[in-house]
Amino acid sequence: MRYLFISLLVIFTFPSFAVGGYKEEFEREFMSKPWAGEQIEENACIGCHVSDKMEPKLKNIPQNWQMSIHYENNVSCHDCHGGDPKDPDMSMSRQRGFIGAPKYTEVPEFCGKCHVGILKNYLESGHGEALKKTAKGPNCVTCHGSHKDEQFIQKANIDIINEQRCTKCHSYERAMIMKQALFLTEKKIGELEDNFGRLKKEGVFTADDEKPLFRTHADFRALFHTVDVDLVKNQTDDFAKRLSIIEERVQKGFREVRFRQNFSGFLLFLFVGLAITVFLLGRRSE
Amino acid sequence: MKRRNFLKLLFAFLGSISFASFVYPLVRFLAPPGIEAKTKKLSLSKGEIPVGSAKNIIFNNTPAIIIDRADKGLVALSKICTHLGCIVEYDRAKKRLLCPCHAGVYDLEGNVLSGPPPKPLQKLPLKVEGETIVIG
Amino acid sequence: MFTGIKKWLEVRIGLDDLTRTQLTEYRVPKNVNIFATLGFVALAGYAIEVISGIFLLIYYTPHPDQAFRSVQDIMTRVPYGWLFRQIHIMGSYIMIAAVMLHMVTVFLMGNYKRPRELTWVVGGLMLLVTLTFGFSGYLLPWTQLSYWATTVVTSMPTAFPYVGDFIARLLRGGDYISGITLGRFFALHIAILPPIFLSLIALHIFLIRRIGISATPFGTSDEEKRPLTEYKKKTYPDGLPYYPYFFQKQMLMVMIYVAVMFFLITFMPTLFSPDEANTPANPLKTPFHIRPEWYLLAPYQMLKLIPNKFLGISIQIILVGIFLLWPFLDSQKEKNVFKRPVLRGVFIFLLALWGILMFWGRY
Repeated sequence: MRYLFISLLVIFTFPSFAVGGYKEEFEREFMSKPWAGEQIEENACIGCHVSDKMEPKLKNIPQNWQMSIHYENNVSCHDCHGGDPKDPDMSMSRQRGFIGAPKYTEVPEFCGKCHVGILKNYLESGHGEALKKTAKGPNCVTCHGSHKDEQFIQKANIDIINEQRCTKCHSYERAMIMKQALFLTEKKIGELEDNFGRLKKEGVFTADDEKPLFRTHADFRALFHTVDVDLVKNQTDDFAKRLSIIEERVQKGFREVRFRQNFSGFLLFLFVGLAITVFLLGRRSE
Repeated sequence: MKRRNFLKLLFAFLGSISFASFVYPLVRFLAPPGIEAKTKKLSLSKGEIPVGSAKNIIFNNTPAIIIDRADKGLVALSKICTHLGCIVEYDRAKKRLLCPCHAGVYDLEGNVLSGPPPKPLQKLPLKVEGETIVIG
Repeated sequence: MFTGIKKWLEVRIGLDDLTRTQLTEYRVPKNVNIFATLGFVALAGYAIEVISGIFLLIYYTPHPDQAFRSVQDIMTRVPYGWLFRQIHIMGSYIMIAAVMLHMVTVFLMGNYKRPRELTWVVGGLMLLVTLTFGFSGYLLPWTQLSYWATTVVTSMPTAFPYVGDFIARLLRGGDYISGITLGRFFALHIAILPPIFLSLIALHIFLIRRIGISATPFGTSDEEKRPLTEYKKKTYPDGLPYYPYFFQKQMLMVMIYVAVMFFLITFMPTLFSPDEANTPANPLKTPFHIRPEWYLLAPYQMLKLIPNKFLGISIQIILVGIFLLWPFLDSQKEKNVFKRPVLRGVFIFLLALWGILMFWGRY
């Protein structure tokens, strides 16, 4: 009787294997309720911009934004464009600070609302002066992209400097010299960032040490925006010094990981020895 | 029987080492943290701070700033932004501190006025003894 | 000096009589195998969890803003904090493995049959409490993994039509996981479950001692006359004394258990720590792969497979009911599982199914 019952139960689960789309079903049933999923904040901007009322080029914006580094850091529409994200009627109201999309020449000040240090260096640089004097020249979007078309703003990296991009206005030669000047320091910073990630995985948390690294990286990037190769070369040594202090901390972290492995290995060895001893003690010549 | 005695001895030996290798970490684990090595205090004379202005100092390897606020006296704040660690800059005209990385803004108490920082700037202990200021 | 102390105790509590009846004259069957030690191993595992847990309690802060940071501090700043945390984590996983192995061996040896039905039921309840320990403790570090795995698991009761939502809200303390949830899970983990578990342990051990250790069905035939109609404690007058024979077996298994734990800590410390286990919980971002803990993967996968979620959860409840009440459903007298091919087949099939569901649920 019980076997029949059990077998019936088991047999009935088999057809369910064949049901396709179970994952979507599950997610729809369980994960779509507000209590079961992410607490998505109300965002009037996204609400309209994903709807079919929008023309395609405006409709793409939210999904482009979701691939960006701004999204990863919880920076959303109103943080740059102003407006009220909680109130659809006021979402694009000048009273709530809405400033819309910036004109080409106004882009640096638009981004510079937050990226203050970089704006300062940019305005003093050859690029900044070109933009201000001739209304032609690279602005932030030229190199970093925006959420237009198929682009999204990626985390800044050294390969933004490439032949395709920089030759829009001048020969690649000077860009290449700059890239070379930046290269070693950027590489070192990248290595250190990877190392911090590895340490975290192994259980050594280094949040306090990551701040100086971020600071150094930010300073270095801001320095680049002066587009002044000599300045970068002069300061490279200073940066190398700062990085080597951070590197020492990283090495200390790795030494700690190795110590932990050795210590627990030692305990393992002790207990294996104890197990063997107890086993031998149990053998009696009968 | 000699073998049994040896085994018993071995067990006692390994057992006590195992016990000690738990007791030692446990004692270190439970022991109160060592009194923070008395950080070297930093002293400077009041005259070094321009009236109504500020002075950058390095305290314990961290960049900090002593501000002479007109109404509320002297304050010592760490210059490390609580967002991601950049160094904030003092804006005398607007009486605030601004972080150049992502525009975090703090008032002269260290409280966050706007921007991404999650916590106020760390205040450093400051005492005025006569004509000398002591930090730490 | 040693004999002096023994004499002092002897006068007060009758130490000699105690050691005689409980240790040397307490006899176990001659063919007792090491699987019979698994219960003791599970108990040792639980003791390790309690002790390591108490030490972690000293430095842990059960508030959502500080929980993650306190665990980080334990791992990085407290001397040897990492050791106790790793012991607690690995210990919990292998304890559950030991408990499940114990259950499987008891089942296969037919030791749930009359007169031991109650022991099985109490043991089944202990398994459920152990899983609840694991489930409540999982949330405490407040990582992305904890937060979202707990979200998924606390959503499962919503499959019940009317009371489901209420049960889910009761568990969570609200509509979604928050500091309130952390508070109640913490209380559950350190204050509510331990006394319940300890009472169940006491009852379980009392039943074992009172009824007597069962004879293994393999080899020698079972001498108990069936059906039993009156109480008779099972004894083994020509068996081996518990101390030192069986005690030594138990010690050996405990040493092996602890050695396995340290093997994992030394060579695979990140076995249960994907990236999400090192990131603080963010209620606004769901990681791509949310999964419950490994021992809940099979039920989770089953829920995903069965299209109607009410049916899914009802089946699981029924299965749990069958599991708990099995001794009452299986009334065949034959204890030796090798003589019962149907039961053996069905059981192995179910075990394999559980394993497949578990691995499937992992991906």
